[in-house]
Amino acid sequence: MPAENGKILAVSSVSKRFGGLLALDSVSFEVQRGEIFSVIGPNGAGKTTLFSCLVGTYPPTSGSVRFRGEELKGLRNDQVVARGLVRTHQIVKPFRDMTVADNIRVGVLYGRLRLRGAKARERVDEMLSRTQLGHRAQVKAGVLSIGELKRLEIARALATGPDVLCLDEVMGGLNPAEIQQAMVLVRALRDSGLTILMIEHHVHAVAGLSDRLVVLNFGKKIAEGRPGEALRDPAVVAAYLGDETKEEARA
Amino acid sequence: MQKFVIVALNSLLAAGLYATMSYGLAVIYGVMRIINLAHAGLMMLAAYATWALNDRFGLDPFLSMIIVAPAFFVLGMALYATLIRWLPRSAAGPSMQSLLLLFGVWLVLQNLAYAIWGGDTQSILTPYTMESVPFLGGRLGVPQILVFVVSILSLVGLNLVLRRTYLGKAIRAVTQNRDAAMLSGVNAGQIAAVAFGIGTAFAAMAGSMLSTLYAFTPDFGRSFLLKAFCIIVLGGMESFTGVALGALVLAFIENFASAYTSIPVSYQDAISFTLLVVVLVAAPGGLPGLWRMLDRRVVAR
Repeated sequence: MPAENGKILAVSSVSKRFGGLLALDSVSFEVQRGEIFSVIGPNGAGKTTLFSCLVGTYPPTSGSVRFRGEELKGLRNDQVVARGLVRTHQIVKPFRDMTVADNIRVGVLYGRLRLRGAKARERVDEMLSRTQLGHRAQVKAGVLSIGELKRLEIARALATGPDVLCLDEVMGGLNPAEIQQAMVLVRALRDSGLTILMIEHHVHAVAGLSDRLVVLNFGKKIAEGRPGEALRDPAVVAAYLGDETKEEARA
Repeated sequence: MQKFVIVALNSLLAAGLYATMSYGLAVIYGVMRIINLAHAGLMMLAAYATWALNDRFGLDPFLSMIIVAPAFFVLGMALYATLIRWLPRSAAGPSMQSLLLLFGVWLVLQNLAYAIWGGDTQSILTPYTMESVPFLGGRLGVPQILVFVVSILSLVGLNLVLRRTYLGKAIRAVTQNRDAAMLSGVNAGQIAAVAFGIGTAFAAMAGSMLSTLYAFTPDFGRSFLLKAFCIIVLGGMESFTGVALGALVLAFIENFASAYTSIPVSYQDAISFTLLVVVLVAAPGGLPGLWRMLDRRVVAR
C-alpha cells in the first residue's frame, strides 16, 4: 500500500434523473488515495451513469462530487481531466483514423500534463510500452483487436496524467489470458501511485483486485465494503441471482 | 483527343477551386456536425471585400487574400462566439436549429451587402483577366491557372496543419470522436471556434478566387453552395482525400457534359444536383463508402 493515505474522491448523495427514470438515487461513497475501488451491480444499475456524472459528461441532478476537496459538479469533461480525474469507456472510443501513437499523443498534449516536443514523445513511448502496444504504434487505431483497443483506451486516459483512473469494464469481451494480463496491468497502475475506480463484471477480477467496493442496484447503493463481505451480503446475492420469493410470485 | 485533353485540364483546374470551397464546409461539419448554410453568404462577402480592396487601393485580388482570409478567420471565430456556440448539441447530425440559424445568417449577410453595395453586378478586372496561355494545342486561362495554384497551396497548407501540428491533432481528434477528445482533455468548444474560423477563412479564399472568374451580386454563391454540398456528400463529409476526389468527379462531369453533350452551360446546377440525388440514393456513404463496400467484397472473396 502506498504511504500517502486519505480520501481523494468523495461522492455525496449523487442522484441523476433522465425524465421519469431515476438512474442514480442518492449514491454516496468515498475513495481513498491509492486504493482499487470497484463499482459493481447488475446491468442497468447505474454504474456507467455514475462515471459520467463524476467526470462531467453530464451533471448530476443533485448531490456533490468532491475531488481532492474541490467540487467537480458543473465542470466540463476536459476541465475534470485537467484536475487529474479521467475515465475510459466500456464501448471503446478510439480516434479510428489516427495512429495508435497519435491517439495517445492527444492525451499527452491536451490532458493534465500538456507536454510538448521531446517530453511528449517520451511519454507517448512510455504509455505504449506500459500497455504493451509498442509494436502497434504506427497502425491506425481502427484495425486493432478488441483487447488492444481496451489497452489503447487505458493508455490514452493514462497519458493525460491522472491521479484517479476510472476504468469502465476494461475486461469486458476479453479472453481469460487477456483478463489475466489486464489484472496485472491494473495492479501495476495502482502500484505506480494511481487510485483506481473501476466498473467490472468479472467477479473473479473484482474479488482479486479490489480493496473495497460498492454494489449498485436500480440506482441505489445496496452494499459497501471489502469484497469478501460485500459479495456475500444477502441483498447483493438477491440482486445478482434474483429474489427467489419474487420470482416464485411471478411464476 | 486534343479537345479531350483540354476539357480534362479545365476540369482539373475547376476541381481545385471546388475543393477549397468544399473543404471549409467539411471542416466545420467534421468538428461540429453542422452544415454551414451561411457558407455562400461568406463567399459572397469575401468577393465584395476583394472587390472593395481592388477598387479602392488597386490591390490584386490574389494578394488581397492575405488580408481577406485572416480577417474572415476572425469573423468566423466571432460568429462562433456570438451565435453558433449557443446551439444545442446533436450527436446524430445537423439540428433544425443550426440550419435555421445559419440560413438566417446567410440572409442577413445578403441584405447587408444589398444595403452597402446595392444590387448592381460587380466584377474585378485585372490585367490578366482575359489572358490565356497556349498549352498542348489549346489555351488555358491565366486566372484559372492562378486559382488552381492558390487552391492547391491552401489545401496542402491545411493538410499540413491538420497532420503536423498539435492544433491539427486536436481538430482531428474532435472530428473523429468528440467525447473521447474531451475525455483526453481537449476543450472541444475552443476547437470548434477555431474550426469555424478555418471554415470561414476557406469560404473567404474561395470567394476571393471566384471574384476573379465571375461577376457577382449579393445573391452570389448559391449555386456554388449546391456544388459544395454535392462534393462533400460524394466525398464522404470528413475525409480530406474524399473531398478532393468529390471535387474532381463533379468538375469532370460538369465540364464533359457541357463539352460533349448538348446540355447548355446554364444547366450545370442541374447536373450537380442530379448527381447529389443519385449519390444519396445509390451510395449514401459517398465514394469512401463505395470503396469500403468494394474492399469488403474483395476481402470476402
